[in-house]
Amino acid sequence: MTEIKFVLNGENVTIDVDPTKRLLDVLREDFGLTGVKEGCGEGECGACSVLVDNEIVSSCLMPVGNAIGKDIVTIDGFSKTERYRVIHGAYEDEGAVQCGFCIPGMVIATESLLNKNPNPTEEEIRDALSGNLCRCTGYNMIVTAVLRAAERGRGLW
Amino acid sequence: MVRSFIPGTYEEALGLLDENKMILMAGGTDLMVKKRNWAGLSPLFDRDVLFISELAELKYIRKSGGFLHIGSMTTLEDILVHKQIPEILKVAVRLMASPGIRHIATIGGNIGNASPAGDSLPVLYILDAKIVIDGKGTERMVPIEEFIVGPGKTVLADREMIKEIVINDVRFDKLHYCKIGGRKSDAISKVSFAGGISYRKGRIEEFRCAFGAVAPTVVRSRSLEASMKGLGTEGIESVRNEVKHGYNELIRPIDDQRSTAVYRKKVCMNILDEFFDKAGDSK
Amino acid sequence: MRTLYFKMSRRGIVLKEVSMNDISRPINKLDTYGKTSGSIEYIGDMKVEGALHARTLRSTMARARIREIRFPEIPDGYYIIDRNDVPGRNRVKIIFDDMPVFAEEEVRYIGEPILMVVGEDRGVIREIVEGIKVEYEPLVPEFDYVKSVVHYDYEKGNADEYFAGDKRIVNGEYRTGYQEHIYLEPQGIIGIFEDGKSTVIGSMQCPYYIKNAVVQAMGLEPDKVRIQQAATGGAFGGKEEFPSLIGCQVAVASMKTGRPVRLIYDRVEDIESTTKRHPSLIKFQAAIDGDNNISAMRVHVSLDSGAYIGLSGVVLQRAMIAASGVYTIDNLSVSGDVYETNTVPNGAFRGFGAPQMFFAIEMFINHIAKELGEDNLAFRKRHLARQGDATSTGGKFRDPIIMNEMIEKVMEISGYREKVMEYSKPGDFRGIGMSWFLHGCGFTGSGEQKHIKGVVRLQKNKDDTVTVLAANTEMGQGAFTTLRKIAAGILEIPVDRVIYNNPDTDLVPDSGPTVASRTIMVVGGLIARAALKLKEQWIDGKEILVEERYRQPDYVEWDDETLTGDAYPAYSWGVNVAEVEVDRATYEVTVKKLWGVYDVGKAIDERIIIGQIEGGLLQGVAYGTIEVMDAKDGKLRQRNVTDYIIPTACDSAPVESVIMDNPFPLGPYGAKGAGELPLVGGAPAVALAIENAIDRNVMKIPATPEYIMELLENDRD
Repeated sequence: MTEIKFVLNGENVTIDVDPTKRLLDVLREDFGLTGVKEGCGEGECGACSVLVDNEIVSSCLMPVGNAIGKDIVTIDGFSKTERYRVIHGAYEDEGAVQCGFCIPGMVIATESLLNKNPNPTEEEIRDALSGNLCRCTGYNMIVTAVLRAAERGRGLW
Repeated sequence: MVRSFIPGTYEEALGLLDENKMILMAGGTDLMVKKRNWAGLSPLFDRDVLFISELAELKYIRKSGGFLHIGSMTTLEDILVHKQIPEILKVAVRLMASPGIRHIATIGGNIGNASPAGDSLPVLYILDAKIVIDGKGTERMVPIEEFIVGPGKTVLADREMIKEIVINDVRFDKLHYCKIGGRKSDAISKVSFAGGISYRKGRIEEFRCAFGAVAPTVVRSRSLEASMKGLGTEGIESVRNEVKHGYNELIRPIDDQRSTAVYRKKVCMNILDEFFDKAGDSK
Repeated sequence: MRTLYFKMSRRGIVLKEVSMNDISRPINKLDTYGKTSGSIEYIGDMKVEGALHARTLRSTMARARIREIRFPEIPDGYYIIDRNDVPGRNRVKIIFDDMPVFAEEEVRYIGEPILMVVGEDRGVIREIVEGIKVEYEPLVPEFDYVKSVVHYDYEKGNADEYFAGDKRIVNGEYRTGYQEHIYLEPQGIIGIFEDGKSTVIGSMQCPYYIKNAVVQAMGLEPDKVRIQQAATGGAFGGKEEFPSLIGCQVAVASMKTGRPVRLIYDRVEDIESTTKRHPSLIKFQAAIDGDNNISAMRVHVSLDSGAYIGLSGVVLQRAMIAASGVYTIDNLSVSGDVYETNTVPNGAFRGFGAPQMFFAIEMFINHIAKELGEDNLAFRKRHLARQGDATSTGGKFRDPIIMNEMIEKVMEISGYREKVMEYSKPGDFRGIGMSWFLHGCGFTGSGEQKHIKGVVRLQKNKDDTVTVLAANTEMGQGAFTTLRKIAAGILEIPVDRVIYNNPDTDLVPDSGPTVASRTIMVVGGLIARAALKLKEQWIDGKEILVEERYRQPDYVEWDDETLTGDAYPAYSWGVNVAEVEVDRATYEVTVKKLWGVYDVGKAIDERIIIGQIEGGLLQGVAYGTIEVMDAKDGKLRQRNVTDYIIPTACDSAPVESVIMDNPFPLGPYGAKGAGELPLVGGAPAVALAIENAIDRNVMKIPATPEYIMELLENDRD
């Protein structure tokens, strides 16, 4: 057990935990942040996506020991922001959400992309979402939603 | 229960490494899957764990002479965006992993994992990568083809770690990179290929190529490459079949849950043909 | 740059007004915020006070007798749950009750649940599971199509007569592989036992299926069993009957332990041990007359059910009924067998036997045309069913069939005619293919009337909101929104004044399962009728309850024994075009673009239908190309999402879709079924496109690069 300190959804946190434990488990169970999902446990599906220093990371692959000093944002925290409101609005207006299980990960992927590239092309969007699997939508409506978010969020990113 | 060590400096890390036999935790993208346990339970490590991915001293990309020095804990994402990294390595990195993995996976971890299907490997082979190993009080440099000795096996001994990767800053006139997976992105390779050619006065100066996922380790043949040196368009045609035959002997793919030996072999030969076509095309 | 082209207006409107005249106009779905913010709780997110964790111990043998099970020391507070703890019948109630809740003397597949270990600490549970030693006495497993456990056949006309004598006969044999659902949310369920009552909460499609199963396994009265659906992260048929098994297991466990029991699968466990699409082998013989038309066909369908039959008989029926595809063949002799093998049991998956058959029949009809030297478009059109024709089982296509219009439309928007000529040139590795398909809406035959007998209620509340009481589940397909739209439109109240909650069997009647493309047509139809009733009785401020029961349309006549008559009350129709390019060096297929034109009667919400189209079509295309799953000696070779490949955002192609207007008089607002249809056409369209690209016959799916290489290389000899 080691003391691990990082920033979680804007707040400084400290936790005494086995550093090899998956960040996913620490977030869901120790911090009760169930917006982060487990879809596969092998880094393929992206349902566990979080932002680490503003970049998308599959939290099922990251040992919490590597989180020391990092700025971690989960969907639970991100959903309180203005950028989220724009992304949510775009996803809703484009009908991009079906069962919803992949969606927190998709929203995180959207933020990670727009943060680096506020005006992505369709190809860049697909590449940015390539680590987030969706079985319901066929992806096209999600891609359109990201384009819409980029359009509407001019100035935010 | 296993202990975890999270050193603050590289010095500290080396010191800890010297004391104990430990498992090196870089980004975790391979290890956390290999050793995974049920949800909520710690991974199944059978010895102490040394966390090295956050060591700032190992995160760098520096040009020196005709070489590029890459710290072992440089992430794949950093490699993707850095100006000095050769294009062919960037192509390989973009195709090999999703953003959620690239942001934490390290080049050192990828090499240390030594997967026969590792996508960065064929590129590193043709860039004459050398692995700088540190530990037990000394540093040594080993060419990558001697560093990786089998599927998942390297010459890294206990109490050693990868410090740096050195690649030739060679600029090819023509590049050919192919990755064949089960889908367009984020897939384990069935076959991968990296090739580069440079010319001097219309004749081949450098001809290099390497195949991944079709043998226990990456296939590269300096002797076959040497036979291409100095050739012009007609010369290339005259040796094509012989050289193809040479590679055919070296490529030993298997049947597995992803693909078949017969397919892998045929595709390698087809890609080689494409590469030869590119080589002979004087434009 | 690829363009995303979508025919209808996709922009949802924020106002939740629904007009009866404009039911198709999209509105924003009503449950989006919970999903984008991560605040909606799926079963794995729920915290239940005092819950114990459960883990299943599974057979490692494909077929064996259990000689002995040796247990390590079990600490206090930890329990072993097995067949001895099942108070009622140790069989999971599905259509054919052969699957045990926990294995008995014999195990029949690798992964079969033998027992569960339950307790507080997962680390301890793991130690116990690892410490349990099962001693097996191996038996000889069967993996081929040998042991038939279900057989059906039916006749139309007199096929034998047309095969007699010196006739030209064309043969075809087609194979399809497994398909795994890969719903993003793995299976999960919680059982609670309190005061003699068993409650089960979980990710599911059919609360009443689970209720009936738990009643049987627990030996309880129906009022002592309560099932609640949790938000469900995708299903596609994979949560139709499978949750009945785990529902029984946690019900038993919670009763034995006196604590709630939580069973959440991890992905590998889910892939290895849950139901999949039945692999198939379909054989055809067609007798050709003097005019080069098909006078008769003989068809045999073989399905691999895995170790238990479950629903396989119904899947077989649907596949067999689809034997003549969208074509009218006057003389048919169709038979089918379900073969039991010692592999993981197979079950429901979107399409339910139709995707297998439509791949086979579409390829076959094209292969016949090729063999006869006929233009394939003209040949298919000659045989295309028309309104009034007899169906495969001797029923009738009563409603208008607008396929000719749809075919013209899809060819126009895809440029099919020009491209098929262009791409047919030798050496051109581009290809275009067109599939024609239908899907019978609702349960096969007399299922609705005899077995389901759906009931729906509308509860008008004092505040003039209306609660729809039905057992149908939202799993991403938009039922929450469409069913509410139907009620709101008829009652002429805003959609957000109509309430629909995740079904709880204590509160809602059994309106039937959320399967078989019946939710909008059948259940929506019941809601519509109930709404009309309620509208007539409406009094502001008053509480009113109305009920509506399913009545089979008089014209539907079906004989379960001979499989003759009207198999379905209505049919939805579709056409797909796929354009591909095959890489010469690697044989990989790139899908460039997809087109679809669909007749689902009436779209209750155009954009929700488009969502079903795009998702279903990609599943169908991937079923035809990249989704590879095979078994060796009863063990699946692809057991995680790294090895079982589904499309990513880089693999999906632009989709252009058109929804036709062809209202069905007995559907709400004219709607027919739409959930499964979009998947059915995907594989044949892409397989036909690959054929066009490589100029070889594709006889099986998935048409992998390895298979394409074989087709191209073997010809050289």
